[in-house]
This record gives sequence, C-alpha cells and structure tokens, in this order.
Amino acid sequence: MEEDRRKDDEDNKLALQFMDSLHNYLSLTHSLSSTLRQGWLELASAKHSMGTSRVNTSVLDLKSHSASTTLKITENDDGTQPQFTLQKWVSSEHESTKLEDKNEHPQDSDTKSSATEATLTKNLTGLADNDEVRKERDKSLSVFGVLISPKLRATQLSFEKALETLIDIANMRSSVLNSFTQLHKEVEDTKE
Amino acid sequence: MYGFEALSFNIHGGYLEAIVRGHRSGLLTTADYNNLCQCETLDDIKMHLSATEYGPYLQNEPSPLHTTTIVEKCTLKLVDDYKHMLCQATEPLSTFLEYITYGHMIDNVVLIVTGTLHERDVQELLEKCHPLGMFDSIATLAVAQNMRELYRLVLVDTPLAPYFSECITSEDLDDMNIEIMRNTLYKAYLEDFYRFCQKLGGATAEIMSDLLAFEADRRAVNITINSYPYGHEELAVCEDIDQVRAVMEKYPPYQSIFAKLSYGESQMLDKAFYEEEVKRHCLAFEQQFHYAVFFAYMRLREQEIRNLMWISECVAQNQKSRVHDSVVFIF
Repeated sequence: MEEDRRKDDEDNKLALQFMDSLHNYLSLTHSLSSTLRQGWLELASAKHSMGTSRVNTSVLDLKSHSASTTLKITENDDGTQPQFTLQKWVSSEHESTKLEDKNEHPQDSDTKSSATEATLTKNLTGLADNDEVRKERDKSLSVFGVLISPKLRATQLSFEKALETLIDIANMRSSVLNSFTQLHKEVEDTKE
Repeated sequence: MYGFEALSFNIHGGYLEAIVRGHRSGLLTTADYNNLCQCETLDDIKMHLSATEYGPYLQNEPSPLHTTTIVEKCTLKLVDDYKHMLCQATEPLSTFLEYITYGHMIDNVVLIVTGTLHERDVQELLEKCHPLGMFDSIATLAVAQNMRELYRLVLVDTPLAPYFSECITSEDLDDMNIEIMRNTLYKAYLEDFYRFCQKLGGATAEIMSDLLAFEADRRAVNITINSYPYGHEELAVCEDIDQVRAVMEKYPPYQSIFAKLSYGESQMLDKAFYEEEVKRHCLAFEQQFHYAVFFAYMRLREQEIRNLMWISECVAQNQKSRVHDSVVFIF
C-alpha cells in the first residue's frame, strides 16, 4: 500500500513536471512571437529613419568572418536531453548565464537528475553596460554605417532577445520531450 | 531683383511652375491616408493607390506585392515628374533642378563603396541605388581602393568633384572613412547649393536659404543623436537626448519640435522633424515666381513615399495600431 502510494506520488510528480514544462514552452513561443514582431517593426522604423539605401540587404558583409554568436550543445550520458547554450559575442568570451527554471522540482539522487533538469538561459547582464559587448554590437551594426539611428540599435537588441528565447525554447522542448518519455514509460509500466 | 520676378519669371519658368503646382495638387490628402491606413493587405493598398497618380505605376504589378515594390514604383513616378521638368527647363532652373539630385548621388556613391567594401556584387548594388542619383560612371566606383582613387578614376567628372577637396586622402576606405566622406560631401553640397541660391537672389534665395538651413540643422541633430558625445559646438557636449533638447530649445524654431517629445524619448524625433519640414515646404507654395517650389515638391513627394513605405510595412506586418507613429500628413 505504501509502495503504491509512493508510486502514485512519483507519477503525479512526473505529470506535473511535464505540464509545467509544456506551459513554459507555450509561454516562451508566445514571447518569441511578440519579440520578433517588435524587432521587425523596429527594423521598418530604422529603414524609415535612415533611408532604404542605408538599411538593406545589399550592404551586409560577405567577407568571411567568424560568427559573433555560437551555439554549444551538450548531451547527457544517455543522450536523452541535449542542453543548448548560447555563447554571445564570443570574441569577448561572453557566455549567457543560466538560471534554474522556477518550476523545476528537485530530483532524487538515483534518477538521472541532469536529464530532467529544465534550464533557462537568461542574459539580462548581456544587454547592459559591458564595454566589450557594446563594442561587438557596434561592430556588427557597422555594416550599416558608423552613425546609425537608435532605432537600429533597438532592432538589434530585439533580435538578440529573440535568439535567446529560441534557445530557451529548444531547452524547454528538450525537457518536455524528456518528461513525456518518462511519463509514458511509467504509464506503460503501470499497465504491465 | 527681389520683387520684380513677376515681370519676367513666366517667360522661362511659367510653364514649369504651373506643372509643379499641378503635381502638388496630386499629392495624397488626409482622406487618402485614412483609407490607406485601414487597408488589410498590400493588395488593398494597391487598389486604393490605383485611384491616385501612382495608379499607372502599380497596375501591372502581380500579387503578392512586396513593400519594396510599392516604394520602387512610387519612386518611378517621382523620377518621371523630375525628368519631364528637367528636360523642359532652361538655365538657371536646369542647374537648380540638378542640384536637387546631388544628395541622392552622394547616397548612391556611399552605397556602392560600402557594398564593394563588403564584397557585394556591383549589379546588385546598382539595383538598390536611387534612380535620381545615377550617373554614367557609377559602376566604376567599385574599383577604387581609397578616396584619392575614387576621385581620380570616377568622381572628377561628376558634379560631386568640387565637394571632394576636403576629403581626398590616400587612406583605405573603411566604415569610418566612408561615414566621414558621406557627411563631408553632404555638408559641402548643402553649402554649395546655398551659395547658388544666393546668387539667384530674390524669393528663391530667401526661401531656399530657410529650407537648406533647416536641412543642415536636422542633419547636425541626427548626427549628434546617432553618435553623441560628438557633434556640433554646443551639441558636442551633449551626452543624451535630454541635453540635446536643452540646447535646441534655446532656438525658437526648434522649441515646438522638441516640445512634442517626452523626456528621454528620441524615437519620435524623426517624425517631429519631418512634420516641421513638411510645414516649411508647403509654405514655399504660398509665393509665386521662384524656384523653391520645385525643391519643395520633390521633398514633399519623397515624404509621401516614406509615408507609403511605413503604411505598407505596418499593413504587411499586421501592426496597423502603429501606423500613425510615423505617417506625416501633408495636407
């Protein structure tokens, strides 16, 4: 009886974890949509302010250069839940900080804790006054000229935020799939 | 001599002044903009514009439309109007009309040089150039490595040649030097245009000096906003938009512009400046027998195209609530 209750508790915990992850995933997709809408409108505003001859695709740099932002993927031992980390403005060796999901539940030591851990990448400090980061941002925008409108800078920040949200979504999706797999396995075990 | 233009202006300029006033009456009205702002799709915009002077330029464009297509076709209307006036004009009006296009020429030169620096295809860059700023040897700009070569190989035979005296160096063209070149050329152009208008005298000199001074001031403020703390005299010590406001509010013509902005708000500054510019250009039509009406018409048409661009973007992005952020009504 005690064992049944413990099993029920574990099943409930898994179910809650799955639903929390799914809720966070849907919230993040909604947030991404609104950030992208804002970014595109700011880009149109920058084009309106600076003129279409200054803000268009034909001024983008085709010379080979290293990426200013890279994506690092780490996998668990069993490959069940890959972890995505954004490394922004890598020439300044800036890496996004990670914060725990506020809905994360503590894992038992004998479970694969890292496999079910839901992490959010959050990089508020990257959007603040780091000189190196600001230089890298200005360097990216310099394809449009040196004297650019604040609207174009706002566009850059919006799309940067959208990129971070995308990584959050990738991590959250990974967590959702992992939770679902575990839940499904528990249900199958129960049926047996 | 100021005041006697009525006796002789119409001999050479009467026909074209009538033409440009006719074009002015074809500019979109507030009712047109209200209809456009309520469009759901770009095809709706095309349908509304078919009843305007832009109709013939858009009628053959297939769906789905793109915002850049609308802007390109509307610009063709401006170019056709300009070319008709230029081919009918005699001196000194023909030189005056050519001066109006030098700003676009400078923008095109900078676009080609910047694009070449970024290893873009020249043909692709030429397609993005403004048609009013084209000249014969523009494609040759791609071979220049520094400003001296730029001048010697291409620009020495163009109207921009006199403006290069302040920026001929052997330094390689990079983003910073290109930006300096852009602003140095534009400053020299505005000063030259101003001197030309002063030589013409009369109402042309008086009205154009006001319009060109406003253009120069607007550019100085924009340069400051985009790059503070560097700027012009008092503007040079400003470190944010509020300090710029404090400097500019000392000058009555700019008090009304900055009064429209809340503290810390720079986003609406463009719209405030455009509104003031439109007001000044509309006032140019209140007098007769001067050339400033041609300049004013070209600028008003460009503003109209900017409005159409913004409305199209808001409709295409389903952001109609933001359409009034940047539309400047002309009438």
